[in-house]
Amino acid sequence: MKRYGEHRFPGKLFVVEGIDGSGKSTQIALLNQWLHAEGYGVVFSEWNSSPLVRDITKRGKKKQILTPATFSLIHATDFADRMERNIIPLLKAGAVVLCDRYIYTAFARDVARGLDRAWVRELYSFAPKPTVAFYYRVPLDVAMSRITHGRSGFKFYEAGLDLGLSGDPNESFRLFQGRIIAEYEQMIPEYDVTVIDATLPIEAQQVQMRQIVKARLAQARQLRVAP
Amino acid sequence: MSMRETYGSVVPGMELTDLPGKIIVIEGTDGVGRSTQIALLKPWLEQQGRAVVDTGMTRSELAGKGIKQAKEGHTLGRITLSVFYATDFADRLEREIIPALRAGFVVLTDRYIYSLLARALVRELDPVWVRNLYSFAVKPDAVFYLRIGVEDLIPRVVFSTGFDYWESGMDLHASEDMYESFRKYQTGLLAQFDKLAEEYQFEVIDATQDIRTIFEQLKMGISRVIEGKPEVTPAVELAKPTPAEISQVAEIASPAVAALAASGASEGGHEHRARRSSKKHAAQPVAKGRRAAH
Repeated sequence: MKRYGEHRFPGKLFVVEGIDGSGKSTQIALLNQWLHAEGYGVVFSEWNSSPLVRDITKRGKKKQILTPATFSLIHATDFADRMERNIIPLLKAGAVVLCDRYIYTAFARDVARGLDRAWVRELYSFAPKPTVAFYYRVPLDVAMSRITHGRSGFKFYEAGLDLGLSGDPNESFRLFQGRIIAEYEQMIPEYDVTVIDATLPIEAQQVQMRQIVKARLAQARQLRVAP
Repeated sequence: MSMRETYGSVVPGMELTDLPGKIIVIEGTDGVGRSTQIALLKPWLEQQGRAVVDTGMTRSELAGKGIKQAKEGHTLGRITLSVFYATDFADRLEREIIPALRAGFVVLTDRYIYSLLARALVRELDPVWVRNLYSFAVKPDAVFYLRIGVEDLIPRVVFSTGFDYWESGMDLHASEDMYESFRKYQTGLLAQFDKLAEEYQFEVIDATQDIRTIFEQLKMGISRVIEGKPEVTPAVELAKPTPAEISQVAEIASPAVAALAASGASEGGHEHRARRSSKKHAAQPVAKGRRAAH
């Protein structure tokens, strides 16, 4: 079993991180389009998307029987399944893999839920180090105003209501996201994360992202497929 | 106030003080007779007035069914499987085992983290990673390891369940032949168990003995572990179920087991009973003292 940083694959792995409302999903969707158009073999993988644990995660959330530990482990199971069956083989084959959320999401959320920092980091130590990890930095108020438009309210775990920080979903969400931001900020130097100012216009952010990605794809030209 | 320990990490919200119950683990590879013994031990403990919760792998409300379904498909990666098992274990630990310990139950568990460690290690996962994964487990009061060699295990498996895909380590692709694969895999697994037995100080029981003898050895070991615990005053005769009761219980597991249990049930019973009851009397003042201290 290889550990974080030990992997040497011909493929490239780009991941986006940030709190809800940071605009990271929009950015990676635009990047995906562009890479396809440029003729790269691109695969997109989303957090919490493996069919293996989809049903039990849904049921666990609905019945509210998930604890911080099982919440963490069920997401780690999902992640491990996507890694073993999908992402690692693709990276070996030389693909460009894009991930909307990666291990840093788990580090931030699980620690915000009270799990031990070292335990969670070791749990995900099998994950390959991304070629570039982008963090979309945004003030909490900006993110909240973006996501409260057109939404009826926060879900139980999303708002961190399981932590009992506040009975009010909005207030709970704010407190929980505040903790998550603090964890992200700590990871920036620790994991050499690339910070993007997520208050800039969408186009400006995308220009930055493409420049950085392009520089890292210079060696991956042989992986191009016909557009 | 006594405090329980884990193997390193503590999950949020888990209060480790004031857990007066006991965790008794029965470990051993597939086909070694763990469930037969648990079927005998549970009523034996209950006859002594002890409340028992029995639990085992893949029995969690959250993940049990999911693991079983996923294993049907034979496509689980080894890291994924280990983490999935940890999910199942965490759910049972937090929502079943700990509450039972808090209420003073004896938790009789069919395997614990050791089987999971052995399976992961034989699949060559990083030992540091594997130990960290299960490090939130509460240390049990005793681990009884039913030990068997591959040569003795093979006929049992052949004539009961047959070779199972995962228990034969077919995911490791050591051999196309299920028998060959089973032999290789179980040899490796048993070697891991032997190492764990030393590291975690299992009480080793020779699983090639007859069911009745193993049951007697387990009863002695368990009595020793749970003595001194506040308990219901013994009635006249509660130390040992009658042969009829044992065969009744064993019948649940299998008719062949019942016959075996009944044939061996009356041998040497009086000696054991005498020894145990004298121990019990000696332990009484301790139990009272602990109760008073609360």
